[in-house]
Amino acid sequence: MSTSDPLARTAAARRPEPRRSLLVCAVVGAAVMAAVDEIVFHQLLHWHHFYDRSTSGVALLSDGLLHTAELLALVAGFFLYADLRRRGALAPGHAWSGVFLGAGAFQVFDGIVDHKVLRVHQVRYGVDVTPYDWAWNLAGLVLLVIGGVSLARARRAGGRRVS
Amino acid sequence: MTAGPVAAPLALACVLAAVVYAVGAVRLRTRGDAWPWLRDCVFATGCAAVVWGLAGPVPGGLFTAHTGRHLLVAMAGPALLAMARPLTLVLRLLPPGGARRGLLRVAHSPAAGWLLFPPVAAAVDVGGLWLLYRTDLWAATHRNPLLGGLLELHMLLAGLLFAMAVCRLDPVRGRCGLPLRAVTLLAAGAAHAVLAKSLYVAGPPGTSFAAADLRAGAHLMYYGGDAVEVLLALVLAAQWYAATGRRRARQAAREALPAGAR
Repeated sequence: MSTSDPLARTAAARRPEPRRSLLVCAVVGAAVMAAVDEIVFHQLLHWHHFYDRSTSGVALLSDGLLHTAELLALVAGFFLYADLRRRGALAPGHAWSGVFLGAGAFQVFDGIVDHKVLRVHQVRYGVDVTPYDWAWNLAGLVLLVIGGVSLARARRAGGRRVS
Repeated sequence: MTAGPVAAPLALACVLAAVVYAVGAVRLRTRGDAWPWLRDCVFATGCAAVVWGLAGPVPGGLFTAHTGRHLLVAMAGPALLAMARPLTLVLRLLPPGGARRGLLRVAHSPAAGWLLFPPVAAAVDVGGLWLLYRTDLWAATHRNPLLGGLLELHMLLAGLLFAMAVCRLDPVRGRCGLPLRAVTLLAAGAAHAVLAKSLYVAGPPGTSFAAADLRAGAHLMYYGGDAVEVLLALVLAAQWYAATGRRRARQAAREALPAGAR
């Protein structure tokens, strides 16, 4: 066969896919943040409770769904990321902003919906929880801001390259 | 789950299956077939997990030990067994003829197709678990050893059914798309996690386990379930990765052809 390897031929036409890079890495970021939450606050510090006695049925169901979805997202995210790498379609700037946006979104969602609206569990027990809640949600906000700024920079850089 | 009348024969059958699989894989290789060694290891590990859960010593209080056995016999073991593609191995080994045709007819029968439809398999597997922990079934299995034994058999078979339905590595009836299998895994995992958390505060009806035992068991069930779920998710993700790569290679090969030959 005189033509080269078909995969190598498509490699010549490799194009970064910023949108997909952003989305896939946001999934990875959210799932990694969830894993950090589970390992650090549940297992190492024992701040969060496995089961808060005031947990309602709806909260239990949402917690079960979210926890399982996190696990599946972690696996799916890494395989989707590997696929982007394999195709040479990863846009690094968008990917990093995706990681921060995903992590921040999870942190704020966990802090507001899980801790405050559904009251699945609290950040810490036996202390005044207000400063912990502020710290939790502000940390999430900082992650979101970092993600937003890096996304804007990646977009500007991408725009320059195209023009 | 205690050692009932079914546990010993079931464990023996598992050991036998491991031997048959190993011998069969060696025969395939000497014949010239490619059969990865990893599959032999995975099948042997799965059999070891089931045998350990049925007959081996498991640490912890009564409920925690039960959860550990359940994890081995109904979840980790069957997942590993399904990953080793036992049906594919048997079909390759059987000579063309009655036995092979019969086995294929069973695998491709409408009944098998229904049972291996992922939501049905999940309902059989996780639904059975909810019945065991949230009705008087648990107390009944402890009064009646035969019922307890049948429960052990059901747990192994239902676990195998679920793993085969979700992974779909063997040639069974019907194709199921990745989205349906992934959503089924999500729903089954969530139902398992919710049950585990609810057991943290309230044990099965008609039982009185120590609170610490119940909590340790619920923890083990929750995080053990996570481990098996990740294992199954890895199988699905690897399938997707390989299939996407193949599709793209085909597409590239088509595009490489001159326009007239397409």
